[in-house]
Amino acid sequence: MEEPSNEYVMQQVAHGDLDMLKVLFERHHKHVYNFLYKMSNDKMLSEDLTQDVFYKLMKYRSSYNNGNFVSWMFTIARNSLHTHFRRTAGKNDSMELVAHRLAQPEKEEEYSHLHQALAQLAPSDKELIVLNRFQEIRYAEIAQIIGSTEGAVKTKVSRALKKLKTIYFKEI
Amino acid sequence: MKTEKEHIIDLIPDYLDQVLEDDQRTLFEAHIKICTVCAEELEQYNVLFDAFSQEEEAIPSSQMRSNFLEQLAQEKQEQSQIVPISSKASTSSFPWKSLSKIAASIAALVGAFLLGQYQQIEKSNRTIAALKNEELRAKQTAMLSLMENQSASKRIQGVAYIDGFADPDEAIVVALINRMHRDENANVRLTALEALSKFTTSPMVKEAYIKALSTEENPSIQIALIQNLVKVQEKRAIAPMKLLLEREETQPFVRDEIENVLPQII
Repeated sequence: MEEPSNEYVMQQVAHGDLDMLKVLFERHHKHVYNFLYKMSNDKMLSEDLTQDVFYKLMKYRSSYNNGNFVSWMFTIARNSLHTHFRRTAGKNDSMELVAHRLAQPEKEEEYSHLHQALAQLAPSDKELIVLNRFQEIRYAEIAQIIGSTEGAVKTKVSRALKKLKTIYFKEI
Repeated sequence: MKTEKEHIIDLIPDYLDQVLEDDQRTLFEAHIKICTVCAEELEQYNVLFDAFSQEEEAIPSSQMRSNFLEQLAQEKQEQSQIVPISSKASTSSFPWKSLSKIAASIAALVGAFLLGQYQQIEKSNRTIAALKNEELRAKQTAMLSLMENQSASKRIQGVAYIDGFADPDEAIVVALINRMHRDENANVRLTALEALSKFTTSPMVKEAYIKALSTEENPSIQIALIQNLVKVQEKRAIAPMKLLLEREETQPFVRDEIENVLPQII
């Protein structure tokens, strides 16, 4: 039997069947968490924000417009992260702070070479690579998430990959 | 224009993702075989993409799931407090609730419209009634003052105004009776008499006729009085009629009339 689509399940949630949100949680919470973790490099924060994302999915269920669920979920995740950084960093560019934090990693953490290379990318480039390469989200959906077009996203991802590759092989 | 090399390098991610079209892939592979720069580039991407796939997924703590379930349970409780209908039923069944809401709002709309219309009619009816009332009062005043006019024809006009009154005031009836009894002009007296004939059910009018029969000297008015009194079968009219018969100055045709009608009053 085929699993019901994310969109179908979310419609059930939107119509008031809250238990169906458990299905979506099991399917996606790790993706959201890993996206946030890659972007923030902070496990505690990523857990909090992941929980916040699912809380918002639940609270705003009636505003779900039957669009691509994954795009919607990552849009919320991305906004949660931005909001968090705006609050904590004040007027400073939030993503700069993350880059700064990454330059001084927590002692216990042992980051992979790729992780460290990613950390040196501009946040917007990193976001594209995380969404496209780790979350395996297609260009069209990324375009929805960041508010761009499919063609533009493809070009941006391609450029970001080029930059990442350069960093990756420079430091190896 | 891009060189072929740059063009091929741009295709590397798609080549590794195996999303290139067949002809593009053939072109790509052919180029890689002859170009060491691009071959090296491809190798680097290959290593990078391997690293992507080997990157370990971070595992969130189990606390996150239990927190989520807690939030969900709380939301469900709130939901059941707000919407007592079971969520399953509301998803599958026809939205009767909203339908009834729509029906209720339509009913309210129509109801309000009808009420408004009714009130409007009611209001205009009241206005018309008030206007009519005012008109009647004005007419009555005009009638009463006309009846006091020096000109006999004006007085007749005033008396004739009675046609506009379905249920005239006592003041008007009294004024008409006065005209019938005392007006110096016989025509006015006659018109007043005829005007009063519409109200012969009133004892006051009958009384006035009987009284006029004994005082009136104009024969044509006497005849009109007699006819009207016979029509209402007024027995009290018999005595003054007999008196008229005995009076010398009574015109012969009046006598004839009285003799004719007397047997009709039983």
